[in-house]
Amino acid sequence: MKKCPFEEQIDSYLLNRLEGEEKEIFEEHYFNCPACFQKIQARDEVIAAIKSRGAWIFKEEPARRKNLVPSFEKVYSVFTPRQWATVAAAAALLLVVIFGVLPQWRKPTPQFFLGDHEVVRGKTLSLISPIIDVRAVPAYFEWTKLGDNIEYRISVYNEKLLWTATTKETRIALPEAVKKLMTAGQKYSWQVRAFSEKGTLVAVSSRVHFQIKPVE
Amino acid sequence: MNFVEKRPVVDLDEVVVKYRPVVSFKVKKSIGTQTPDWEDIVDEIITQVIEKVKKGEFRGESSIGTFIYTITSRRIVDYIRQKTKVLKEIPEPAPLPDPCLSTENRERARILAEAIKQLKPKFKEVLNLYYYQELSREEVARRLGISPRRVSERLNYAQKLLRKMIRP
Repeated sequence: MKKCPFEEQIDSYLLNRLEGEEKEIFEEHYFNCPACFQKIQARDEVIAAIKSRGAWIFKEEPARRKNLVPSFEKVYSVFTPRQWATVAAAAALLLVVIFGVLPQWRKPTPQFFLGDHEVVRGKTLSLISPIIDVRAVPAYFEWTKLGDNIEYRISVYNEKLLWTATTKETRIALPEAVKKLMTAGQKYSWQVRAFSEKGTLVAVSSRVHFQIKPVE
Repeated sequence: MNFVEKRPVVDLDEVVVKYRPVVSFKVKKSIGTQTPDWEDIVDEIITQVIEKVKKGEFRGESSIGTFIYTITSRRIVDYIRQKTKVLKEIPEPAPLPDPCLSTENRERARILAEAIKQLKPKFKEVLNLYYYQELSREEVARRLGISPRRVSERLNYAQKLLRKMIRP
């Protein structure tokens, strides 16, 4: 129900704070507004009761034993609503910093590099071909798949590192330039290392030797 | 050409029923219930309203409420002037309160007072400061450390609670 604008003047009228024309206008209004008149009557009764018995109503009662558990009102009244809003905003900002910003400052996961003499215990990376002596320079090197999103680094050696390359496939073609470096009768070896998406070494194959048979 | 002036139709019985409480309230507020004359003045006003409407003096230029208010205000002013004049010459003894009216009001006030006493302290506080001690809304707000708007909200809510508590 829409509030009558004269409602706000009810207390002023009943407490004799309205005077002159303002009072006449208000009185004329409640002669024409049954809703306001009803409110005036109800309010007048309350005021009359308070005026006649106020001393008894508002007499202070003896202090009760203090409650050990503070009421919600006591806690709430520590701050004003504006101060509570500031506290809430500060708490929210703290949570954002702890869970959102700080993790970004962590150092990246360390990457491990194995020397030839080191062994990684974990998943097995098996080499498929070439693993035995071959009649010609191998066109491809092939190995087993370790999982999804793995990057493989192949290294081919004679006495020293001859060629290295990286692929996400389980097979790689030997470049022509490297083929030209390989000759019959020579012994070679190759090894594959597997890295996760984040660059962590997850597996190393054994080092397999092969020889290109000499031409007869 | 004759123009016949149309008079608004007024249901006098309805007017009496509807406006007697309003006139009574205004009269009691103006001259006090301790004066035994107040009921007579209310009767005079209602009688005057009926007579004027029958004579066609209510032409509908204002509302019936305003018409009755004007008659009421004038009668109260006349009464006060008369009383003031008389009192200057012959001071009269203090009037005795109407015992029946007092008893009814006293009982009502007792019921309300008990209900107010049961309210939570935050509501009693505002009722005490605003109605009993008659502080302004702003002063009440300052003393309680709350906004004036909060004072009004508590006063309104206290009244609602009291209406619920004393409902038969």
